[in-house]
Amino acid sequence: MTATLTPATVPAAAPAAPTTRTKTKRDIPTVVVIVLVSVALLLLIGLPLGKILVTAVSAEGLEVAQAMFTSPVNRKIVVNTVILGTLVGAIGTAIGFAMAYAQARMKFRGKKLLHLIALLPIVSPPFAVATAVITLFGRSGLITNKVFGLETNIYGLTGLTIVLALSFFPVAYMNLLGMLRSLDPALDEAASGMGANKWQIFRTVTLPMLVPGFGGAFLLLFVEAIADLANPLVIGGDFTVLSSRAYIAITGEYDVASGSAYSVFLLVPALLVFLVQRYWSSRRSIVSVTGKPSGRVREIEGWARVPLMVVVFGIAALIVTIYATVIIGGFVQILGVNNTFTLDNYRYVVQGIGSDAMIDTTVLALLATPIAAILGMLVAWLVVRKLKRGRGLMDFAGMLGLAVPGTVVGIGYALAFNRPLVVGNVQLLPAFAGGAAVFGGAVAIVMVYVIRSMPSAQRSGVAALQQIDPAIDEASASLGATGVTTFRRVTLPLIRPALLSGLTYAFARSMTTLSPIIFITTPQTKIMTSQILSEVDSGRFGNAFAYCTILIVIVMTVIGLLNLAARGRTPVPVAASGA
Amino acid sequence: MNIRKAVALASVMGFAMTLTACAADSQSGSQSEDGPITIACGAMEDWCQKMTEEFTKTSGIEANFVRLSSGETVARLEASKDSPEFDVWHGGPVDGFGAAKNADLIEAYKSPNAEAIPAEYRDPDGYWTGVYVGVLGFCSNQSSLDKLGVDVPSSWDDLLAPELKKQVSSAHPSTSGTAFTTLWTQVERLGGEEEAFGYMSQLHNSILQYSKSGTAPGQIAGRGEVAVGLVFSHDCVKYQEEGMTDLVVSFPEEGTGYEIGGVALIKGSKHQAAAQKYIDWTLTAEAQSFGPTVGSYQVLTNPDATSDDRMVKLDDVNLVDYDFVEAAAAKKGMTTRFDEEIASAPKE
Repeated sequence: MTATLTPATVPAAAPAAPTTRTKTKRDIPTVVVIVLVSVALLLLIGLPLGKILVTAVSAEGLEVAQAMFTSPVNRKIVVNTVILGTLVGAIGTAIGFAMAYAQARMKFRGKKLLHLIALLPIVSPPFAVATAVITLFGRSGLITNKVFGLETNIYGLTGLTIVLALSFFPVAYMNLLGMLRSLDPALDEAASGMGANKWQIFRTVTLPMLVPGFGGAFLLLFVEAIADLANPLVIGGDFTVLSSRAYIAITGEYDVASGSAYSVFLLVPALLVFLVQRYWSSRRSIVSVTGKPSGRVREIEGWARVPLMVVVFGIAALIVTIYATVIIGGFVQILGVNNTFTLDNYRYVVQGIGSDAMIDTTVLALLATPIAAILGMLVAWLVVRKLKRGRGLMDFAGMLGLAVPGTVVGIGYALAFNRPLVVGNVQLLPAFAGGAAVFGGAVAIVMVYVIRSMPSAQRSGVAALQQIDPAIDEASASLGATGVTTFRRVTLPLIRPALLSGLTYAFARSMTTLSPIIFITTPQTKIMTSQILSEVDSGRFGNAFAYCTILIVIVMTVIGLLNLAARGRTPVPVAASGA
Repeated sequence: MNIRKAVALASVMGFAMTLTACAADSQSGSQSEDGPITIACGAMEDWCQKMTEEFTKTSGIEANFVRLSSGETVARLEASKDSPEFDVWHGGPVDGFGAAKNADLIEAYKSPNAEAIPAEYRDPDGYWTGVYVGVLGFCSNQSSLDKLGVDVPSSWDDLLAPELKKQVSSAHPSTSGTAFTTLWTQVERLGGEEEAFGYMSQLHNSILQYSKSGTAPGQIAGRGEVAVGLVFSHDCVKYQEEGMTDLVVSFPEEGTGYEIGGVALIKGSKHQAAAQKYIDWTLTAEAQSFGPTVGSYQVLTNPDATSDDRMVKLDDVNLVDYDFVEAAAAKKGMTTRFDEEIASAPKE
């Protein structure tokens, strides 16, 4: 059985890898994988970033960069951006942890429902939240004004923080939930056996184990927050951030040099946070899946639950209200102004250019998802298990797609792929992006989807692999399996839950991403999120709500099918604690 | 294991098939002389949709549109000038068309039908032709104004009232042609660029946020998020009709700006014949009269086109002497300056 070796995990590459039975670590299939992954990363992220850096250090770009330090207005924008990122990172991680802890360690009714509610923001475009929040809590908001008679000002930092934290906390939730579930309950039992109470266990056992998770979640949220440009445009008020400024420079003026210069300033804090987090989490070992049997989690009951339950259900109620607003808003004339039932919004969306956008977006996201998940898992595997030298570099390169703000990725793609790639006199690649590109620019969009969603697959892969004792791999190798065989037969089954969550997330993310896409949409390839932005920006909230609802339904359907398919293929749960 | 292999294979094949399908599509498109044509459309989305639909119905030529604000259009044309993604630019203030003409992004085309359009609504060199006229106005929410205790604004200076702090909405002149019309109106009204920027930085304190699209402020006012939106009055009328009944239109008595909405041929269009047919069609009375059927009540430039009571009477409004040529020449510098000096400045 083991003799036939087809790397089914590398569909994009799939050269018939030679069957070898070497016992060295660096066997040929592994080297092939390393080379292919490196080339893919170079093309997907190296080239666009390189182009941006080159443009930013051009004479014009340097002028703008210099103005960043001299002009107080620009300095304020940089400070604003960092404040926003920090707030959203901290608050979003806190919300995510509260939800995850309740889910994993507390006993209460409605857990499944709460889980679904917590994932809702992932399957929707972020400005669904912004638009609903304006309708609910704006100056003439349904709740603030119509119920409480308040004249609140939601525009600016407050509104942005609420909207972004609510939009992005599910990332933190998913990561932390996965980690909490894979913590070995035997540790808790040991602590409690030594006389520790629940609070002491939480503080001295659970929290330290989660440190990498907190760091990772904060990083993701920080970068998501500073990269987001739809929400600052919709609800930012006079709180200007770098991403919206870069966007105006490019879409309004076609000032690529300033756009790139702003991007580089966006890049710096993002990379800094990323490096800090890596250094910090790498100092702790968190091996906890050892293949040894373990106990069961004892869930918290009684009054100790109350404070957290209040918080968790409060947040859940807010999310439900927001999405109810989105759904209802699609079926009435103008929510809050004229609440007559109508199907006009749906008619407008479905009969207009909306239907093209739905098909294009879904097809491209479906193409990108498996590529992203597999690439991410491969990178994770190489980084954790295979590479000695250059592992840091590979991990870093893989994470760049996420660490680099979406706005920067988008501008980089526009710069790198709007023209054919020519080296010397040889055209290596045709133009991928822009109106004149091959396939109407669809290739660049798939590439962006891949590079943006791959890191989350990589992260979950790395987290899962780090928790698996290398002894398991070594056992496989000592039985004569090659690296790739070990990956396929041993590692992959163990990290399958992580792979599935990576896949799910990759798809949802592709469907709902906007910041990088908006710079490379073409007339031929219409993407739903950019259509929704134009509806929201023109103030046609009803159409936007209808679009968002349709988008949510598509994402939910595909995720449902994905889960069903995965369940069908996994008759036996692999890891006792993981499934 | 086998299933997994099959799935991997299927995804590769799926990818390949989709690519081939797309390839077939784009090839048949780019070689045809009769379209499909792609229109950069600067007016209301439903207007754009109606226009392309009706054109396809009468001519049999397929037409697609992308709704883009005026600054965005120029940026996109600039970005893809080696191999243009659009064939025609239809709708939106001609200040942007003038900027595109100066940047060599559009091509002169004297349509045989242009004769019917009064000369003041045509570019003397034939680069663009006017299809409608719109007047800049204040689109106010009566109940918001009542709550604030402010009268319907009837002067530019009314907008500076402290009660209206963060109660006015305008678009960003970098992206929006409407907002640039607002900016240039100040130049004409106050007599110079410095004075205009002086006024705009005062107005900045009243602005809640600058939207990307020029029609948005009317909607924002209609929902009661701000008291006054700065938009073309026909957009305000459209929102009134769509159910935002609190909205009222007013005009500044010291004079307001206006737009000529244009149509132009994109330089290097790959479907020139079809694009020219489209332009010819947009100048007919029949084509222009579709505007009011979708709630767009701009004054139409073809004298034989429908007239409607909901359209603004140009003689009743005090208009500034709007120099479109000068405006186009100054556009880029002024929007950059606005973005740097005003849009991101802190408020007092």
